[in-house]
Amino acid sequence: MRVLVVEDEAALRDMLKARLTEAGFTVDVAADGEEGLFAALEYPLDVAIIDLGLPKLAGLEVIRRLRAGRKTYPILILTARDNWQDKVEGLQAGADDYVPKPFHFEEVLARLQALLRRAGGWASPELVCGPITLDTRAQTVKVSGAPVELTTFEYRILEHLMLRAGEVISKTELTERLYDEDFERDSNVIEVLIGRLRRKLDPQDQLKPIETLRGRGYRFALSRQTA
Amino acid sequence: MHSLSRRLLLCVSIPLFLLFGVMGFVLDLSFRELSNRSLQQVLDSQMVQLIAAAELQPNGSYAPAARSLESALSTPGSGLYAQIRSPRVSTVWQSPSTAGEAIAFGPALPPGARTFSRATERDDDEVAVESRGIQFSDDPASGQTLTFSVAVSLGPYQKELWRLRTQLLEIFGGLALLLLGTLVLLLRWVLSPLRRLEREIHAVEEGRIDTLGSGYPRELSGVATNLNALLVGERKRVFRYRDTLGNLAHSLKTPLSVMRSALTGEVKTAGSPGAALGSEIDRMSGIIEHQLKRAAASGGALLGQAPVDVGAVASELRATLLKVYARKDLSIELAVELESQFIGDRGDFVELLGNVLDNACKWCKSRVRLTVSIDNLTFSRERLKVVVEDDGPGISEEDRRRVGQRGVRTDENVPGHGIGLAMVQDTIEMYGGSLTIDAAPLGGARFSIRLPGR
Repeated sequence: MRVLVVEDEAALRDMLKARLTEAGFTVDVAADGEEGLFAALEYPLDVAIIDLGLPKLAGLEVIRRLRAGRKTYPILILTARDNWQDKVEGLQAGADDYVPKPFHFEEVLARLQALLRRAGGWASPELVCGPITLDTRAQTVKVSGAPVELTTFEYRILEHLMLRAGEVISKTELTERLYDEDFERDSNVIEVLIGRLRRKLDPQDQLKPIETLRGRGYRFALSRQTA
Repeated sequence: MHSLSRRLLLCVSIPLFLLFGVMGFVLDLSFRELSNRSLQQVLDSQMVQLIAAAELQPNGSYAPAARSLESALSTPGSGLYAQIRSPRVSTVWQSPSTAGEAIAFGPALPPGARTFSRATERDDDEVAVESRGIQFSDDPASGQTLTFSVAVSLGPYQKELWRLRTQLLEIFGGLALLLLGTLVLLLRWVLSPLRRLEREIHAVEEGRIDTLGSGYPRELSGVATNLNALLVGERKRVFRYRDTLGNLAHSLKTPLSVMRSALTGEVKTAGSPGAALGSEIDRMSGIIEHQLKRAAASGGALLGQAPVDVGAVASELRATLLKVYARKDLSIELAVELESQFIGDRGDFVELLGNVLDNACKWCKSRVRLTVSIDNLTFSRERLKVVVEDDGPGISEEDRRRVGQRGVRTDENVPGHGIGLAMVQDTIEMYGGSLTIDAAPLGGARFSIRLPGR
């Protein structure tokens, strides 16, 4: 999952970047509103965290403009002015949730994951497709109740595919969301990772959870189970 | 006398009525004088005619010759009467007009005497009587003093006098009314800027306009300008104050966020210095949150601030809360009376309603209901009734009491009903409203709030 953090306070920005990376996100950062808007419009993001009190361009304006630019990914706002007027304005501008400062990082992470699930159409933090269960909180995967050991990248790819189960996701999109922009991209890595995932999830090659669509990308083929 | 125009009217009408009164009195006096004089003349001329016409009769008495009598003296009840007394022969001649009348002509007079008197005739009719004592030098029985009397009925004179008086009253009365009417119109014109000022101040109070208009007369323009300066200054001051507090909160919270994030990891070990620091950071955030918000609440309507449309705020908050609580299968029902308004600051109201609704959303299973109505029966200012209900577990008696208590140190959190509800309680108190908490028909808690509104 690729997340953009727009926060002017360097210490907070660095902390969020470090902890989000640790939690398995690919993190882009911006220190002011203008930089933030540029990143928000240009990068292939899954979610954005935007502070409302930003220099150069106010957080509200960033949100308004990126929504006007037809960006539909969820937005979480951080606000030191924890009052309802600001919350109402922020959510009216197009944000999806808010966390007041000073926050616990766990709170931010939980809200972020909830937003991502909701954006993918999932209600609970456990994603269940056929016998495969992915727990977004614990970042664990089970097949028919048996735990499966995955590397970080394998988990990220699976989470991405399962969150949007049924949709076709291109190889480029997967690459972009797994790596920072300055990372050297190699689409072969994705193919290798997908191959490893298939072997780990479906050693007998019976389930066929991940479909390959030639020239278009991948699709998680097992149907979702709603709680 | 709390009205300037009434005072002015009184000030002008008292001298006006005094003037007209004195004028009327003087005119009346001269009319009476005039009519008395003409009466005198009539009496005198009749007297002279009577004396000239008197002739000695064979019995030694005097009487006028019948042919020389004026017709009025020969007609009974004509209003003109005469009498001649001849004491030697004790005879009294009376004009034929006295027939059927009983006129008191008065006593016999010594020679040369002359009297005027008024006497009452029958039917309360007054007559003026003139009598003269006369001795004729050519009288053979000299020494006899005759008393000549002439009486004139006052009826016609009095009638005339009353007619004049009525006329006077009508003219003066009419004139006075006309003057007063003109005065009232003039006053209205002169005082119209004051009335406009009053109307505009009222409109500012109700929030229909934000400052007073221009174009006041010189005497009032200073007042209007100063009032406007005061209004604008006060508003600016409050906004700047809030802005400062907001900035203060912002600049305190950001370093707290950094501190908290730096501690992460250490906090989990109970008893470690990190854990202690962590709880202190939490306390500080709580204090900043609560005290700064409390200070920033305006606690009353700023003059010239528009009243708050409750329906609009409610639907904005509903949309926000539905988004925030998207993880919950939530329904928020709104039943807001059309055009209900909160009289006060919008920020305060949004904060108050936001906190109560947020609390309800936090605790409910799936249903929250907001009912807003305007009480038309009471004459108090607190006519806005806001009721928030949910279907959650409700609030225990003990916690209800704590929430409702004044002066409870609310930064010591009531679990689950912390700063938010304390804030609500503070705001309601500042506006002189009331809060009651009981069980909702839906199953959870019901918050009933009364606030100034219309």
